[in-house]
Amino acid sequence: MAERSVVLEMRGITKRFPGIVANDDIGFDLREGEVHALLGENGAGKSTLMNILYGLYHPDEGEILIEGRPVRLGSPSAAIDAGVGMVHQHFMLIPVMTVAENIVLAQEPRTGGVLLDISEAERRVQEISDRYGLAVDPRARIDQITVGQQQRVEILKALYREADILVLDEPTAVLTPQEAKELFEVVRSLTERGKSIVFISHKLNEVLEIADRITVLRRGKLIETLSADGASEEGLARLMVGRDVLLRVAKTPAHPAEPLLVVEDLRVVDDRGIEKVRGVSFTVREGEILGIAGIDGNGQTELIDAMTGLRQSAMGSVRVSGVDVTARDVQGHFEAGLGHVPEDRQRRGLVLEFSIAENLAIHDFRSPPDSRFGWLYPRRLLERAARLIREFDVRGGGPQTRAGGLSGGNQQKVVLAREIDRDPRVLIAAQPTRGLDVGAIEFVHRRIVEERDEGRGVLLVSLELEEILSLSDRILVMYEGEIAGEFPPSASEEEIGIAMTGGGRRTEAA
Amino acid sequence: MNEIAKPSAPGGGDPSGLGPEVRQSFVERYAIAQRTEGILAPVLTTVLAFFVGGLVVLVTTGKNPLTTYRAIFEGAGWSWFFEIGNHRIGLPWSDASVWFPWNVNDVESLAAVNFQQTLIATTTLILTGLAVAFAFRCGMFNIGGQGQYFSGAIFAVWIGSSFEGMNPLLHILLAVVVAALAGAALAGIAGLLKATVGAHEVITTIMLNWIVIWTGSFLFSVGGPLQNDTQESVPFSNDVVEGAKLPILWGDPLLQGLHIGLFVAVGALVTYWVLLNRTTLGYGVKAVGFNPDAARYGGINVARNYFLAMAISGTFAGLAGAIDILGWQFRLSTGDMLNSQVGFIGIAVALLGRNTAVGVFFSALLFGSLVTGTSTRNLDPEIFQPELASNLTLLIQGLVVLFVGADIVILWLLRRARRGVLA
Amino acid sequence: MTSLALPIAARIPSGLRRVAWAGIVIGLVAAWLALPPLTIRSFVPSLVLALIAVTLGAGVAMRGERRFGGFAIAAGVFGFTLAYLATQSSLGKLESVVVWSALFAATLRYATPLVFAALGGMFSERSGVVNIGLEGMMLMGAFFGILGADKLDSWWLGLIVAIVAGGVAALVHAFFSIHLSADQIVSGTAINFLAVGLTGYLFIDIYGTEGTPTDVQGIPNVNLGFLDGVSFIGPIFGQLNLMIWIAIVLVPLTWVVMFKTPIGLRIRSCGEHPRAADTVGINVYLVRYGAVVTSGMLAAAGGAYLSIGFINSFNENMTAGRGFIALAALIFGNWRPYGLAAACLLFGFSSALAQRLPEYSQSASVLFQALPYVLTLIAVAGVIGRSIPPAAVGRPYRKQ
Repeated sequence: MAERSVVLEMRGITKRFPGIVANDDIGFDLREGEVHALLGENGAGKSTLMNILYGLYHPDEGEILIEGRPVRLGSPSAAIDAGVGMVHQHFMLIPVMTVAENIVLAQEPRTGGVLLDISEAERRVQEISDRYGLAVDPRARIDQITVGQQQRVEILKALYREADILVLDEPTAVLTPQEAKELFEVVRSLTERGKSIVFISHKLNEVLEIADRITVLRRGKLIETLSADGASEEGLARLMVGRDVLLRVAKTPAHPAEPLLVVEDLRVVDDRGIEKVRGVSFTVREGEILGIAGIDGNGQTELIDAMTGLRQSAMGSVRVSGVDVTARDVQGHFEAGLGHVPEDRQRRGLVLEFSIAENLAIHDFRSPPDSRFGWLYPRRLLERAARLIREFDVRGGGPQTRAGGLSGGNQQKVVLAREIDRDPRVLIAAQPTRGLDVGAIEFVHRRIVEERDEGRGVLLVSLELEEILSLSDRILVMYEGEIAGEFPPSASEEEIGIAMTGGGRRTEAA
Repeated sequence: MNEIAKPSAPGGGDPSGLGPEVRQSFVERYAIAQRTEGILAPVLTTVLAFFVGGLVVLVTTGKNPLTTYRAIFEGAGWSWFFEIGNHRIGLPWSDASVWFPWNVNDVESLAAVNFQQTLIATTTLILTGLAVAFAFRCGMFNIGGQGQYFSGAIFAVWIGSSFEGMNPLLHILLAVVVAALAGAALAGIAGLLKATVGAHEVITTIMLNWIVIWTGSFLFSVGGPLQNDTQESVPFSNDVVEGAKLPILWGDPLLQGLHIGLFVAVGALVTYWVLLNRTTLGYGVKAVGFNPDAARYGGINVARNYFLAMAISGTFAGLAGAIDILGWQFRLSTGDMLNSQVGFIGIAVALLGRNTAVGVFFSALLFGSLVTGTSTRNLDPEIFQPELASNLTLLIQGLVVLFVGADIVILWLLRRARRGVLA
Repeated sequence: MTSLALPIAARIPSGLRRVAWAGIVIGLVAAWLALPPLTIRSFVPSLVLALIAVTLGAGVAMRGERRFGGFAIAAGVFGFTLAYLATQSSLGKLESVVVWSALFAATLRYATPLVFAALGGMFSERSGVVNIGLEGMMLMGAFFGILGADKLDSWWLGLIVAIVAGGVAALVHAFFSIHLSADQIVSGTAINFLAVGLTGYLFIDIYGTEGTPTDVQGIPNVNLGFLDGVSFIGPIFGQLNLMIWIAIVLVPLTWVVMFKTPIGLRIRSCGEHPRAADTVGINVYLVRYGAVVTSGMLAAAGGAYLSIGFINSFNENMTAGRGFIALAALIFGNWRPYGLAAACLLFGFSSALAQRLPEYSQSASVLFQALPYVLTLIAVAGVIGRSIPPAAVGRPYRKQ
């Protein structure tokens, strides 16, 4: 392969935040027409590095050269002018505006210099869309198109601004396996036209498939830059984490027994009146982990809301150990033996300004021993907290420490501790390892398997297919509010991916 | 979509082996910040507000701000407080007396009279301040203190001027309870609207304020239903009967002596603290105030807490109205309704006092002094025009609210200073 | 009854909204029947019409258009109530109170300050900054307007001074909310306090107890001579103040700016998703600063109209909550210029009516002063459907 010219070079980049060095003297270069992957676990510094490239952060030390010339990227405008485009992990799109409006924003075509020329904008968008083969409808509103299409809009935004360097930040996080394949084709076609791509990911298999070179970051430091030829998943994993990593959780086979959670023909409507859960039925038994896979937005959130009492279902029933809890409020669900680890620990799982002790008490504070006739006994709260902190090895503070001062992993431990300590019959875990580092992920996975081994039922809802495959004893796929298929954990990602997009056979879910 | 993206650093995926030293000092630093800055920030805010106020005085009138502030200080009667000596105070329900550092017996003393009035004003502001503070703790901004105060006052003056010959204790209790409930009901409307349809309490409480003010004006206007029975041409209410007036604690009843309402206010402070820190109600209110989502996911009924918090908030304000009527005002007029500001000062009191019981106490004392010290009766017009001075109070109050809203500045300055010392 | 409405609604093609509008109009006609000039003395025809309106509204609401359906129901109820009250009062009193042309002219006069402030509020909120301080900015405009007109002996210089004053107050609010990320509502409230205190202080300091002079040059009226003889339109439009005409022009103008220009698109993007705007290179801070300062200037212009175009004097705290009514109009109108203008007209009408009622009953008129606030309460309570604000309004934006 001929040596391609270097289009981007980042030298000695260092960026500090209070209490942590996010990037420590990192060097990174990008050649023309290549796909260079940035690999690392959550918190390794990949996004920080690229945010520096895009002008969103300013480095404390180091320099950036584009096409050999040093540049100062003080803002996104500067980065855009320098030919850098970024497709963010969380889309930077305005839901109530159209595709065309989003794409031309800040570089709008005008009539007479004053008025907005929307038809010209739509024409230009159509033109780029055709040129690069990224089909979109310029007039559609963002909140009415699919996630895959939204991502295409994000890419078109960068192309509209004539970016030659494209940074894709965890692009497949929101895509089905099929859509990911389509994305890879787009990436290849872009590189064929001379664009250079930085591909940020923590998914080893994808990185091996798409990248020409791979740079591994760990805890803010550059570990190695290597060619994708000859690299292996195990080798990359070891570079990412610094030790040998078990890619699958070791667990003994399941022996499911009595049904604990029975959901029958559940129908749930969202705030806008749209039916998001359309007749879902399944059972979770004692000693079993049931995983629900699916792309975000196919009704999982509403399903969990209905199962935990946060939302009234329009039809159907939810039974916990035979008791019908469908009509009960949230507290009623907890009392029936349900445990819920919510998907966003900082917004929904914890009150960050409360102490650990207060957070641990949130389900029980209204009854003895925490309180009597409305009178609170703080000492009881502290006692419980001290015990659970020990049991769950929560680090970073004591019972009176503010929950907001803990790290993500420790916060999740607090939430887990709170739910598990109440001895629920069924534990519902939604995205339990989102944003956590490998050590914390291992801990959470281990605890979940322990719960199963102790005879509880676990419902695991996750957007990470690997997690589902690794932990579940049975897998259901949700698509557009319905169960689109049931699979054993030995099923391939292919099969599950097809179900996630609605294709393929449908099996009766037990 | 969360547009405040956090860097992949603290709170995010913290690599476990980062080193306990780094973690610890962050937590430690925060704890220190919470303790010391707890007192320092409000003090600094106040000083800054007075400083800017002083500048305004200097620039507009050319007068020395320090003499002006001193005149206000004396107008508020603080000179009495600082004259410590050997005096005696009589014990209640007996003839004995004990040593007391302050002179409570000289009824001629101007300073004493002024200080009584400061304490009277403080009483009211403690209560309206608590009203705003309690709502804040539940994440709501109750600007309706004024209207809730008046609904309490209207009921208090109505009950207080009727039922002549009723047992005084019962009479007062009846008036006070009904007034408190009236305040609770008014605030409860706003709370209910927020709980059910999510209507923003800032606008609903302001609208309710004006509705109460105009309704009250109507009630006491010439020809209105509650207008004075004996004097037909003045827009006043009837006077509160002797039996319903609050007993005077200190001073001459004819000169607006200090009434027992002060004890009620202190009791309210204690109640406030207990409610928030020792009851399940307080737990729920605080949880909803900090994070309504997490509260909901945890099983707490958010709507119920919004309603209850507003209702309790209104209770404090209604109580304030009753105490003022039964303690020293004894009647209500349409002019009162249009000119009073106690509900709004309560906002500054709560903000400056950081919504804590102790904070509200000192804050109320500060503003009570300001209001009394700048009133026409108390401020020496030679030194500063009282009408100007009362607007000066409003200015200072506004500055306090402004600076408190951005206490980040103060905290940032403090952190800078600390880093300079320790680093 | 509602089952009757459904087939009716179903037969009218395309547009539940059209049905709802019909209901609203019918409800208003129900009121109009009992009022001059028709003055039908029986409330029965009005009752019938009102019932039709309520039915249509209910039908529409049940089929999804809750907002407009609610309006129709409200129009029906309101229309009947008004008709009933009118039929119960004496003919003479009715005719002296309900002089339509005078009422409409007064409506325009009362609505104008609201329109200025609400348009200002629209810019601010659309960019993502809550502006509770509209009241204070209006008050600043009122005082500094008359001060400028007095000392500089010209109304338009006074207007400029007012606008500058409002802009400065807004700048303070912007600085604290945007730069220091203070709580926007607290910051706005502080501005209100400061405005009352500052204007009161300066008012007493400069004008003492006599108040503002009576011969200050006011903003002139626009004399449309050709309308002099015209019967209905003449008294309404013939002698309107310049500011009212400016307000009338501003409404479509701001619509164009907000929805048809690039700057409007950028403002809206800052209010919906500031991070997205930032990532395409828009300076969110600058846009928000500009929007907030604009809101202050517009609100102050409305205040100046109050003091030197309408009432022709200044009194302490003369805005009397108008800034908040404007905010409610903004919400009522769904953050769109035409919507908020309609809401302002409604509130202006209630004030106009309140002004004429002393002819009817002295004490009741005091009570009637509360009507605009009651209407606002109902509007904000969202009884008539929920409005959707800009997604990121009220949250400070922090760049890293």
